[in-house]
Amino acid sequence: MSSDPYDDRGNKDASITNPKGMGSQIPKSSGTSFSAPGGPFLIGDTMTGGYGKGPDILHDCTIAVEQGEIAVIVGPNGAGKSTAMKAVFGMLDVRSGSVRLDGEDITNLSPQDRVAKGMGFVPQTSNIFTSMTVEENLEMGAFIRRDDFSDTMAQVYDLFPILKEKRRQAAGELSGGQRQQVAVGRALMTQPKVLMLDEPTAGVSPIVMDELFDRIIEVARTGIPILMVEQNARQALEIADKGYVLVQGANAYTGTGKELLADPEVRKSFLGG
Amino acid sequence: MDLLNAIVAFLNYVFVPGVAYGSQLALGALGVTLVYGILRFSNFAHGDTMALGAMATVLVTWLFQSWGISLGPLPTALLALPFGIAFAILLLLFTDRTVYRFYREKKAKPVILVIVSLGITFIYNGVTRFIIGADDQNFFDGQRFIISAREFKKATGLDEGLSFKTTQGITIITAIIVVALLFWFLNRTRAGKSMRAYSDNEDLALLSGINPERVVMITWMIVATLATIAGVLYGLDKSFKPFTYFQLLLPIFAAAIVGGLGNPIGAIAGGFVIAFSEVTITYAWKKILVYLMPDSLEPSGLVQLMSTDYKFAVSFVILLIVLLIKPTGLFKGQST
Repeated sequence: MSSDPYDDRGNKDASITNPKGMGSQIPKSSGTSFSAPGGPFLIGDTMTGGYGKGPDILHDCTIAVEQGEIAVIVGPNGAGKSTAMKAVFGMLDVRSGSVRLDGEDITNLSPQDRVAKGMGFVPQTSNIFTSMTVEENLEMGAFIRRDDFSDTMAQVYDLFPILKEKRRQAAGELSGGQRQQVAVGRALMTQPKVLMLDEPTAGVSPIVMDELFDRIIEVARTGIPILMVEQNARQALEIADKGYVLVQGANAYTGTGKELLADPEVRKSFLGG
Repeated sequence: MDLLNAIVAFLNYVFVPGVAYGSQLALGALGVTLVYGILRFSNFAHGDTMALGAMATVLVTWLFQSWGISLGPLPTALLALPFGIAFAILLLLFTDRTVYRFYREKKAKPVILVIVSLGITFIYNGVTRFIIGADDQNFFDGQRFIISAREFKKATGLDEGLSFKTTQGITIITAIIVVALLFWFLNRTRAGKSMRAYSDNEDLALLSGINPERVVMITWMIVATLATIAGVLYGLDKSFKPFTYFQLLLPIFAAAIVGGLGNPIGAIAGGFVIAFSEVTITYAWKKILVYLMPDSLEPSGLVQLMSTDYKFAVSFVILLIVLLIKPTGLFKGQST
C-alpha cells in the first residue's frame, strides 16, 4: 500500500490517463520581494533546504554571480549542483538563507515571479516544447512580454543560425545539440538579466559540446551574467570567471576558474589529476 | 437507372445520416480529446455535460417558443444555443473550482481525476433528470426538410427518394465552422498556443510565465461550448433524452481513441470512422442490393450484418481492435 492518497496506484492505462508532461509540485510562496541593496548581482546566500518535507540537501550553500561574469558549479554526482540551482530559482523549499537579485530579496517569490524579475532558467531535461515548432518555442519563451519581441527573436536567430533554418520544424525532431540551442534561445526571449543553465551539454557529443560552450561565451559577451551547472568540470572551469565546487550540498572550494584548475586538491579529487 | 437508384438509396440511408452522426461524434470527441491533452485525464462526465448543456438549451427554447420568438425555417434552438453554452460554461467552471482544482493543487495523478469525473457524471446525470425528467423531449421546430424524399422523387423521376433534413444540414455546417474556429484558435492565437505548450510540458509552460489556472479555465470554456453544441445538434437530429447522452460516451471515447487521444484531427477522423462503421454495419443492405444484383441473385434476407440494438458493440469492437493493433490511434496521439 502506498501512503500517498493521490498517486496512480500502479495504473499504466494510457487510454484514460496522460501523465506525460505533467507538472511537478512547486513550493508555495508568499510572493513578495523587498529591496536588499549591496552584494553580488545574483546570490543564493547560505541556503539550506530540500524538496517538500524531505531532508535537507543543501547545507549553508552560497552561490553568486557578478554582472558580466560566468559562474560555474561543479562537483561529483549527487553533490547537489542542480539542487543548488533550483534553490536559487525557487523550485525548492529554502528553509534558511536568502536569494537576492539586483539589490532585491526574492527568497519568497515563486519561479514565475522570478522569471518576471529577469531570471532566465534552462532546466536540464524537458527544456523544450517538443510538439511545437522552433519558432513557437521562442514565442512561448516571450509569453510574459506584451511588447514586440521580433528584435529579440532576430537576435536569437543571429546567435543560433541553425534555429532560423529549422524554425518551422517541430523542436522534438531536432538533434540533441540543436534542442539545447532551442532551450537557451527560449530562455533568452524574455531578455533576462541573468541566465541559469542546468547542464547545457548533458548528452551531446564532444564536438557539439565545444560549439555550445562557444555559444554560451557569446551570450555572456552580450553582457548577461551566466550561472551554470556542468558535468565537464575542466572545460567549464576554463571558461568560468568564478567556480564553485560542491560536495554533499556544501561549498567545498570556491575561486576563479583558473585558481580551481591550479588547485592540487581540486585537481586530485575532481579533475582526475 | 438502377445504378442511380442504388446511389440515391445509399446517400439517403447511409451517407447523409453517417456524415451527420459523424459530425456530432467528432464534436463530442474533440471535447474529450482536449480534456485528455490538457487536463490529462479521460473525462467521463463529458456525455452528461452534453446532456446538461442541451437541457439548458431546451428550456430556453421552450421559453422563446412560449414568447412566440422563432427563426422562421430554422429551429428556435439555434437562438437558445448561446444561453445553453453560457450555462454549461458556468457549470464546468463551478465544478472545476469546487472539485477538480482541489486535486490539481495536490498534483493528484490523472487516474484519480478519472474516478472523480465518474462521480461528477452521476451528479450531472441526476441533476439533468431531476430538472427535465428522464423522458424524451421534443424541442424541434421550423422546417423539417431541406430536400424531402417526395419532392426529390418528383423532380428526378427516380424510384428512390433522397431526403436531407434541416437538422442534418445544420449539424454539418455548424461542425465545419466550429472545427475551423477551434483549429484557428489552437494554432494561431496566443492563448491557443499557450494551451498547447501547457499540454506539452507543464513545468516549462510555468517557467515561461504561462498561468496554468488560465489555461485550465479556457480549456473548460471550450469544452463546455463543444459539448453543448454537440448535445444540441444530437438532440435536434434524434431527440433529447438524458440517458442517450450517457450512452453516447462509448462511441465518443471510441472516436477519440481511434483517432489518437489528445490529437484534435484524430478526434474528427475517429468520429467519422465510428459513425460510418455503425451505420454501415447496422444498415439493411437489401434495399441497395436489389438494384445492383440480377433478379436471380436477389437476397432473401435483409443483408443486415447486425441489428441496430447492437450498434454500441460496433464502437466497442473497433475500440478493442485499435487498442490491440495501434494503441496510439490512427493519428499519432499522446497515449504512448
